[in-house]
Amino acid sequence: MAESEEEVDVLVQRVVKDIINAFKRNPNIDEIGVIPCPEARYNRSPIVLVENKLGVESWCVKFLLPYVHNKLLLYRQRKHWLDREALVDITCTLLLLNPDFTTAWNVRKELLQSGVLNPEKDLYLGKLALTKFPKSPETWIHRRWVLQQILRQFSAEGQTSKQQQQQGETEQADAERSQQLGDHLARTLHQEMKVCCDAACLYPSNYNAWSHRIWVLQHMAMGNVKVFHDELSSMRLWVSMHVSDHSGFHYRQFLLKELITELSQPLSSATNSPQHNSSTVPSSSPSHHSQAQANGELSGVEAAGEEERQPSFTTIIQLFCQEIELCSDLIHSFPGHETLWSHRRHVFYLWHHWRREYQHYSSNGGSELVHLNDSDPGLQTVGAQSCAGRGESVNGQGHATEAMEVDGASFPELRDSKRLKTGILLPDPPALSSEYSFVSSILDDCCNPEQRRFALAYEKWLDTVIGHQP
Amino acid sequence: MGCVITAVTTPQQKVAVTRLQPTAVNRKKEKSDHAKPFRMGTQIKDVIIKPDAPNTLLLDKHADYIAAYGSKKDDYEYTLSEYLRMSGIYWGLTVMDLMGQLPRMNRQEIIDFIKACQHECGGISASIGHDPHLLYTLSAVQILCLYDNVDAIDVDKVVEYIKGLQQEDGSFAGDKWGEIDTRFSFCAVATLALLGKMDTINVDKAVEFVLSCMNFDGGFGCRPGSESHAGQIYCCTGFLSLTGQLHQVNADLLGWWLCERQLPSGGLNGRPEKLPDVCYSWWVLASLKIIGRIHWIDKTKLRTFILASQDEETGGFADRPGDMVDPFHTLFGVAGLSLLGDEQIKPVNPVLCMPEDVLQRVGLQPDLLS
Repeated sequence: MAESEEEVDVLVQRVVKDIINAFKRNPNIDEIGVIPCPEARYNRSPIVLVENKLGVESWCVKFLLPYVHNKLLLYRQRKHWLDREALVDITCTLLLLNPDFTTAWNVRKELLQSGVLNPEKDLYLGKLALTKFPKSPETWIHRRWVLQQILRQFSAEGQTSKQQQQQGETEQADAERSQQLGDHLARTLHQEMKVCCDAACLYPSNYNAWSHRIWVLQHMAMGNVKVFHDELSSMRLWVSMHVSDHSGFHYRQFLLKELITELSQPLSSATNSPQHNSSTVPSSSPSHHSQAQANGELSGVEAAGEEERQPSFTTIIQLFCQEIELCSDLIHSFPGHETLWSHRRHVFYLWHHWRREYQHYSSNGGSELVHLNDSDPGLQTVGAQSCAGRGESVNGQGHATEAMEVDGASFPELRDSKRLKTGILLPDPPALSSEYSFVSSILDDCCNPEQRRFALAYEKWLDTVIGHQP
Repeated sequence: MGCVITAVTTPQQKVAVTRLQPTAVNRKKEKSDHAKPFRMGTQIKDVIIKPDAPNTLLLDKHADYIAAYGSKKDDYEYTLSEYLRMSGIYWGLTVMDLMGQLPRMNRQEIIDFIKACQHECGGISASIGHDPHLLYTLSAVQILCLYDNVDAIDVDKVVEYIKGLQQEDGSFAGDKWGEIDTRFSFCAVATLALLGKMDTINVDKAVEFVLSCMNFDGGFGCRPGSESHAGQIYCCTGFLSLTGQLHQVNADLLGWWLCERQLPSGGLNGRPEKLPDVCYSWWVLASLKIIGRIHWIDKTKLRTFILASQDEETGGFADRPGDMVDPFHTLFGVAGLSLLGDEQIKPVNPVLCMPEDVLQRVGLQPDLLS
């Protein structure tokens, strides 16, 4: 091509403007992409906006990218001045084409700090970049930084409202403000989960998307059992449809582990958790009561309610049972997936350790646990039904017969509490013996070589990792 | 060019744009039908090595490929990857040194470039005009060690920069904007170890943080609670080696997980059910070497996989047989073969991915488990 530098200059400036105008025309653009088109067509903009999709014709990218790239670097070296508006436009174009250009995100961080950009705008730009580059590490890193700014802002606003209250404002006004803050945070959290989910669907085992999702919960919802339950619930269908997505399953393991930890905490520390401050999503936020019931999972937990949440060991055992059952179902339905077997290892390992700690605690005078089991009468009934309702399930040849005996050690308290209930039995908790019989059932009737290999590896893992532990 | 641009769409364009929309059906790899479980064989995610794939090491081709790579500076691809230029140079120079070809590269030009990338704060950036970061600070120091010319930059300032990035919990931010990752813990201690300044940071705290990222499978993730990942495991075992804390690793458990990365083709993946990749072959293999379990995998099959990932025409290695080559996979292919004992290549150090003779000159001998 014989374009002069001047011509390229004019062209590129027009294209950058076209992109910015496209966003002005349609603030709901939800995806970006490059349209394969080797030659420029006379009189046509290479920027195409159809419905909510923004496309760039491929022929212009090789002019566009080096131009905006060099412009920004010259600015960074103080060799070329750009006003704030130009910086916003240039970094936007640049990052949609090359979202791992760290320095361009940094320029936007500075613009954000000086108030030229607002955090929501940058979360939106990142979301668009992820529709084309769902792994882009720098985009995820920038998101975390922006979210931290938002959290800081919330935290500061929470402080201000407290001060105002001390200065004699009505309690009602204060409650309204903190409700608004809570709702805003809940919306941000919800939107973040959606961004992660979209990126996870675009690229299998997307490490950056899933570790970001974990980070978000750790920073915005730690200690909030409701949010963790809702996540676990909504993930059930997702993992069932992505049985080889190791990262998705890891996320489920993370949720399970956090829930178990939270539910195992004694009453006092659970309700007064120091993490429940103004910059984490409050448990009562309305926008998060929606999806929980979607799959019918954990409805018993919902029935227990936030207010009277108590360390419920029945709930914990039920969580483990449901997880092992889900895992068995998936292993049977989709033979030969290493991810499912790896999930089983993790869940059983969590169970094994929780059980040991529980025994330790109950043998050290933790008698309140037994008593607390009686606090949620609806729970066991629902739980037992939901487990029993899946006739076709799992552990094919029946569970280990010694109902409450686990690895040779029994649960006297649980057995007692079981008898107290309405006559419906709790599902059997996982046990080393039932894991071995699960493996034999797989080996007996499966000829898929991969499935057999993973089953044998799991058996060996039980022998060496679990078997050798006290 | 003289084309007047107007924003008009045509039906053809509409089709093209609509195609950009991801459809859930196309993207989904697995089909799930819970109500009616069906049994069918699953394709294991692996590659098949063709009988005519390269099976000898084409060292001369690789040296030519790397020597020519740096000269294509106007390339569009070159612009696209400028944000990691310093690491790119480290990959290219290290593989050249491992092949005994370092003198073919332009030493003075590279050293001047690195000098120009050091910032007031002491940190080093990927290229001129970019912002400083721990990732590129390590790459720059590694390059200067290859050239035995660390004093070309202000070393004290580098040390101050790294020290300033350590957080209260012992972790390291990658740059002043605060992102935390175990990779950055590795970058920090590796750079300081090469400079002989490890005592300037709180090593105990740094170790505590890395250990908090250990998982039930013996592996490590990027932050506490994150999934185990071969790249992160390499960083964390390397970190524990440099800080003399390898005894904190459950070597049998971690070794098991690492060995399970080997697929029937011989290649290694980075996590369960991912495709084998030459760079993961390096990260898994180096981690196994660090924890003294390298003999647990099938070395002959891995060598076959790595050799098959060469491009016989252009030189260089790709991520897996048949794909496009790049300097990154070329380094990790050659380094992997060195760890497997190929005598045409200089011995490589598994912790720093640098030639052993360079580390001897620096006086650094990271721990390995036996």
